[in-house]
Amino acid sequence: MSKQSCLILVAALAASPAAAHVSLETKQATVGTSYKAVFTVPHGCAGSPTVKIRVQIPEGVIAVKPMPKAGWTIDVVEGKYAGEYDYHGNKLSSGVKEVAWSGGKLPDKNYDEFVLSTFLTDSLKPNTVLYFPVVQECEAGVSRWIDIPAAGAGHSHEGKSEGKSPAPGVKLLPKP
Amino acid sequence: MRLFAALATLLLVAGFASGASAHAALVSVEPASGSMLATAPKAVELRFNEAVTPGAIRLIDGAGRARDDARVSASGETISVVMPVDLPEGTAVVSYRVISQDGHPVTGSVIFSIGMPTATKPAAAVDGGLNALIWLARVGLYVGLFIGVGGVFFARWVAWSMTGMAVPRMALAIGIPSAVASVGALGLDLLGLPLAALATAAPWKVALATSAGPALLVAVLAMLLALMALRSAWYARALAIMALVGVGLSLAMTGHAATAPPEALTRPAIFLHGLGVTIWIGALAPLVALVSKPTIATLPIVNRFSRIAALAVGVLALTGLALAIVQLEKPGALVETRYGLILSVKLVLVTGLLALAALNRFRLTPALARNETGTPALKRSILLESTIALAILAVVAGWRFTPPPRTIVPETSLAIHIHSDKAMFQVLVSPGKAGTNDVVLQLMTGEGTPLAAKEATLTLSLPERGIEPMERRASLGPDGYWHVRKVELPFAGRWHVRIDALVTDFEQITLEDELDVTPP
Repeated sequence: MSKQSCLILVAALAASPAAAHVSLETKQATVGTSYKAVFTVPHGCAGSPTVKIRVQIPEGVIAVKPMPKAGWTIDVVEGKYAGEYDYHGNKLSSGVKEVAWSGGKLPDKNYDEFVLSTFLTDSLKPNTVLYFPVVQECEAGVSRWIDIPAAGAGHSHEGKSEGKSPAPGVKLLPKP
Repeated sequence: MRLFAALATLLLVAGFASGASAHAALVSVEPASGSMLATAPKAVELRFNEAVTPGAIRLIDGAGRARDDARVSASGETISVVMPVDLPEGTAVVSYRVISQDGHPVTGSVIFSIGMPTATKPAAAVDGGLNALIWLARVGLYVGLFIGVGGVFFARWVAWSMTGMAVPRMALAIGIPSAVASVGALGLDLLGLPLAALATAAPWKVALATSAGPALLVAVLAMLLALMALRSAWYARALAIMALVGVGLSLAMTGHAATAPPEALTRPAIFLHGLGVTIWIGALAPLVALVSKPTIATLPIVNRFSRIAALAVGVLALTGLALAIVQLEKPGALVETRYGLILSVKLVLVTGLLALAALNRFRLTPALARNETGTPALKRSILLESTIALAILAVVAGWRFTPPPRTIVPETSLAIHIHSDKAMFQVLVSPGKAGTNDVVLQLMTGEGTPLAAKEATLTLSLPERGIEPMERRASLGPDGYWHVRKVELPFAGRWHVRIDALVTDFEQITLEDELDVTPP
């Protein structure tokens, strides 16, 4: 089935609660602490079963460890960070940039979760939303959950139409 | 031959060095032609698909007066016509005549109304007399180049005898003034002046500044060299070959075909095509004279020419095919466009010419070898060949007036430019009216360099009529632009346009704007 019909379905489901998108279960986190990112996958691509989930790790998120899943293979892409981060006394300048679960098959009628353990460094700006772009690959078609509102537009969108495939986000809270 | 190789190399280098793409077409106009404006625009901007030089640009205001106070400025492919401040209400017409890089003029008009429409009409631009002069001068030029220079080359390099030089001499006498007349007529055409203006310097200056000017000078030089080579002298053969190379160079320096991309292919192809035509067509008139009064020497000459002609025809066919593919782009253009129709007529004539040439080569020449009295048939055949050749020259001169299909762009009345820090998208909607439209997206980075996208998606909606977003995937064309064909825009109105360009798997750039679609 085409991406277009997938998006029509997404648009139709957009009216119902947020569960229709691939999203993060925990909507808030404090900078300078560890964060368990749980990606919830509520459906496939226009009815087609999900066969791969790819997550891009945003800058400032380190010590990423994916949780293994029965029936799924984990691949990580490592690379250099833009900056250098202090983690329990160690200086980290490179690490996981992308995580992919593949080889499994999640039917459209089922729900599943994909989990990462991460650490949100102090460099992240509190009171903003941190986005984890996700590409959901299915037997037929791809859904890209990668729309990030332009900086400053916030949630008002100033006349811009709302992203139809928003990237999963987590609201960052300042350190208490 | 060393000289020849050096010139060919030079030509090839010249072809690589210049990046021009020839025969300009109007891409967009601001304000759009036919638009209704509340207040007078500050300027009318004409954007072409390549850099152009303004020729004659005229403004007729809403009161029907021709104005001479519109300021014209050109930068690259954009020409800006700054309107006078006191433009009255009514329908104004900006008619333009610009010179594209192949040396040909491109003309058109932009009409817009301020406040209310009035009956201002664009001035009738086409001057039949001038077009006839351009065509005649072009035919005369071809006669001088191919029959004149070609005949002299045949005498000096193939026949080694000056028999039958009356026709080439006459052809050169026609060709040289024709070349001069071509320069003048081109100048008149570029500036939109009447014939009487030939007495002034302006048309000559303008014409010589285009690529056609130097090409015509080279043609005159080649014909003068051929005239000198008619006299017996030890260097006559050198002059004849220089004249021949001059013909090829002159043709390769200008025109639709020589400036078509890829120039590294088209310029040498035109050069070789010109040499082939000159060698073949030029031989016909002296051959008739030779065959009329056969001597012992006639048979070896005819045999020698047969061998050279076979090579010339092969080169002609190959280069002609390559040029036709570049210019037409698709076989359908052969019948659908005027350019293609001229080519079709030419091909029919060429087929006849080839049939006659084959007859001469395989039947009449061997007959000549067996029986000295077989010459009347060969003479008749060559005379017929000459007639067809003249007809071909007359037809081909008509190409001067038809843009090649490659440059024909559909009329675009809607173009929007969306800009953010990250990217600049240019959106062309043609025809830009309610109904079926073709959309072309040009994606650039914020710095104006091409943006490499994996996917591009166009989303259109018309909120005022309750039309929800319609999403269409664009496909990347070989031209580097993204195309969405046959987009249905059912109603006129202010459409919302959204373009998503997927840059990496995880990142896309989205720009949005409004698009005013007019009723059909």
